[in-house]
Amino acid sequence: MSAGPYNYSYIFKYIIIGDMGVGKSCLLHQFTEKKFMADCPHTIGVEFGTRIIEVSGQKIKLQIWDTAGQERFRAVTRSYYRGAAGALMVYDITRRSTYNHLSSWLTDTRNLTNPSTVIFLIGNKCDLEGQRDVTYEEASKFAEENGLMFVEASAKTGDNVEEAFLETAKKIYQSIQDGRLDLNAAESGVQHKPSQPGGRPGTAAGGDQPGRDNCAC
Amino acid sequence: MYATKQPSLRIKQADLKCKNGCGYFGNADWDGYCSKCYRNQMEKERQKKSKQSQQGDHSKATSFSKFEEKKRQQSDKKTKYFLPVFRKTSSLKETGRPEKYIDIRQMNPDADKLLAEFISAYGEWGEAVRKDFLKCVQSFTSKIIHELDLKSVEELADIAQNYYQLYNNRLNNNAVYQSVTPEVRDKLLDFFERYSMVSLYTFLFCPPSTNDEEKDLSIQDRIRKLSWVNAHHLDCCISETSLEVRDLVYTAINDLLGMDSMKAPQEKLACVVRCCRSVVEVLQHCQGGPVSADEFLPALIFIVLKANPARLKSNMLYVTRFCYGARLMQGEAGYYFTNLCCAVSFIENLTAESLNMPQQEFEAYMSGEVTCVSAWESALVACEGMHQLCEHLSLLKGLSERMTAVRDDTQKLKDDMHRLKEEINDKVTSVLERTPLVIQPRKTILPLTMEFLKSLPPLPDKVEGAASDEVDTAPKYYQQNITMNQMGLSNPKPKLQLDITPCVSLPSASEVKPSLSTEFLTVASPAVDKSLDSITPDDNSYLGLSKINYDIDFSDISAENSIIEDLGESRRSPTMSFTPDPFSPMGTGCTIMQSPLVPSAAEMPRAEDPPARKNDFVLPFLEEIEKEGTSEETLLDKVEETPTICLPPPIKPTEYTGFSKQGSKIPSIPCNTGDFSSLNSTPNAGSSKDTN
Repeated sequence: MSAGPYNYSYIFKYIIIGDMGVGKSCLLHQFTEKKFMADCPHTIGVEFGTRIIEVSGQKIKLQIWDTAGQERFRAVTRSYYRGAAGALMVYDITRRSTYNHLSSWLTDTRNLTNPSTVIFLIGNKCDLEGQRDVTYEEASKFAEENGLMFVEASAKTGDNVEEAFLETAKKIYQSIQDGRLDLNAAESGVQHKPSQPGGRPGTAAGGDQPGRDNCAC
Repeated sequence: MYATKQPSLRIKQADLKCKNGCGYFGNADWDGYCSKCYRNQMEKERQKKSKQSQQGDHSKATSFSKFEEKKRQQSDKKTKYFLPVFRKTSSLKETGRPEKYIDIRQMNPDADKLLAEFISAYGEWGEAVRKDFLKCVQSFTSKIIHELDLKSVEELADIAQNYYQLYNNRLNNNAVYQSVTPEVRDKLLDFFERYSMVSLYTFLFCPPSTNDEEKDLSIQDRIRKLSWVNAHHLDCCISETSLEVRDLVYTAINDLLGMDSMKAPQEKLACVVRCCRSVVEVLQHCQGGPVSADEFLPALIFIVLKANPARLKSNMLYVTRFCYGARLMQGEAGYYFTNLCCAVSFIENLTAESLNMPQQEFEAYMSGEVTCVSAWESALVACEGMHQLCEHLSLLKGLSERMTAVRDDTQKLKDDMHRLKEEINDKVTSVLERTPLVIQPRKTILPLTMEFLKSLPPLPDKVEGAASDEVDTAPKYYQQNITMNQMGLSNPKPKLQLDITPCVSLPSASEVKPSLSTEFLTVASPAVDKSLDSITPDDNSYLGLSKINYDIDFSDISAENSIIEDLGESRRSPTMSFTPDPFSPMGTGCTIMQSPLVPSAAEMPRAEDPPARKNDFVLPFLEEIEKEGTSEETLLDKVEETPTICLPPPIKPTEYTGFSKQGSKIPSIPCNTGDFSSLNSTPNAGSSKDTN
């Protein structure tokens, strides 16, 4: 019944964080365009990535906010985190320094997002096995200790990129189903869009009454 | 590097909490306090400051802030002292509020426009939708206006957000909107926000109860101080010299500046989105590929620094407070607005460290001790120069195109002229071949002309003198020659002078004439004799018909005389081959002069056609041309020959004038074009044509 762009039930906001040059934008581009950035230098419109996916039969629109990873912008990029349902924390497996910074990124994320925000750790550039600087085991252990989901991916080949985004969405959806994520909270990072007009019971049921009260005055 | 240097900019848990340590989270806009502590703090400061102002601290730096403080205190007082009265009256008179609401609508012509827009856009959804929409808007705006003087801006913002949420719920759940599609519901929500905010703009934008204006001034001042920061300092790859990039940067700056002129928060956001898209385009231009946030944020900072938008903070706070919250946290607009907030926050907290610059250098720049010739400014100047250069180049290009067009046309014209001359030459030669046919009828006319000649007035001295010399050798020819000269002098010349005088001075003509006449005597006469020997008097007259023309050329047209002079000069140099150039006045004089004969030839009955005579006639002429190339004498022969042969009777004075008109034009052509190059290049062609 609904037209194309409104044919989804939820909007999830993701942020991609990590040091400069770890391939945040490339991961985003690979996910939204299914192409490696260097292979299509003239693509326009990747700066703000959205893609509609399906989780458990529900259409979900993912909005992914790319962030600046430079050290000098760390202090001012707080507002990126507001209302993020998912955070993809990226490091470069060929550069140890990007891995070492993860803890500070994690601190920021934990501080600036709500507790239900799903944090997913991605070790990017896994196609460059020969230059590996961070072992899978080490990163995996770090993820386990901090309760993060973890995968090694390659924006270039597309390995595991889709999986990372989809797993995050599944986890968020699970939280919604479990009731851990309050849809009505302003900064939940999830926006519910009833795809059937007037056909969705339950959500925001209490909203009608005060509205009427106010209009009567 | 990263491991050793623990960055001071890193956010710690403690940084996020309220500075008072009350446990709540703080906010940068509230100086790191939570909302409650901030308000307390402000109150304390206000009291402190009012005490100071009472003490009479009149330093310049604080004068404006004091004024601001006063303003705010006055508004505070108003809320404290006057409002209860107002409230009482408003509560007593329930009609008071609608009146005020009507006032708002009258004050906002924009709101009326929006209402018309609403009706045109959403009228199709029925009267019920429209009524409910307006009812909600009215309830929202009157609520805000009612609370305006009682509550802080933050509280008003909360009220607004509540109303947005309520209306959103109403859209999704109320029966009135049952038939409305989800797209239109979203638009209605947007419109609700837009309409009410346009109505309330004057009350909610930069309200006097806040220090928004101070923040505006401080950020403006800050940006002005940072005007030396360039793209290089920010590690962003904006190539400052490219024209296209410069245009895009200007577009981005304009969009950002346009934010202040919009009234609804979403319109302001749209400006931000447009600006950011331009920035993305700039980056795509500069690095030729997709843009990542790592590059985008520095570029946006650069744009903000260069734009220094008016009331930047007020605008951002207004959007933050009164834009529907979900919009700010999601979607493209939210993303770009967040980036803008980051950029502004970076500018506010900018230090030497964040520019990777030694502290001393940073301070030198900030204090103005070192004035960095900003690459951007100089690039703009250079670009201006480049821009003008480009404009001039394109202008020159256009001019040169026109120039070549003119040149081509000129060349074409020249070719046409050449062709015309060649055609005429061809015609002349063909006529020359046919002339023997014309000869016959002349015989009968000749006696008539003799009589006619005798009736002519006496000759001028000069010509007579010249003629008298000739009398000895060829009396008969002389007589005819005289008539010729006389004809030329008496009749056509006065008319010709009009055309010729600019070209040649008369003295030169007079000089030539005697020399010609002497030459007749010395050199030319044998040739005349030669020709006379073989030809009967009657035949002579035929020859004369064709050759008299030369005579006329020399004697009548002074311009041609001058060219004879030129030719005479050229004769002195042996390398210069002298041939009567078909394009020289003389040559043209010949050809055109002879062409009038064609009709006469056609008219004349073709009686006798002696082939031998034809040869006689043609051959000397050819010989002349061949000789002309080799020696002076040949020319003289030619020159001399013409006078020796008498003027044929059929050429009437009227015909002479006709000729002279042509002749007058023709000399002017070579004179004007200055086509002396053709003198050198064409003789061979001309002579070959003549021989043909």
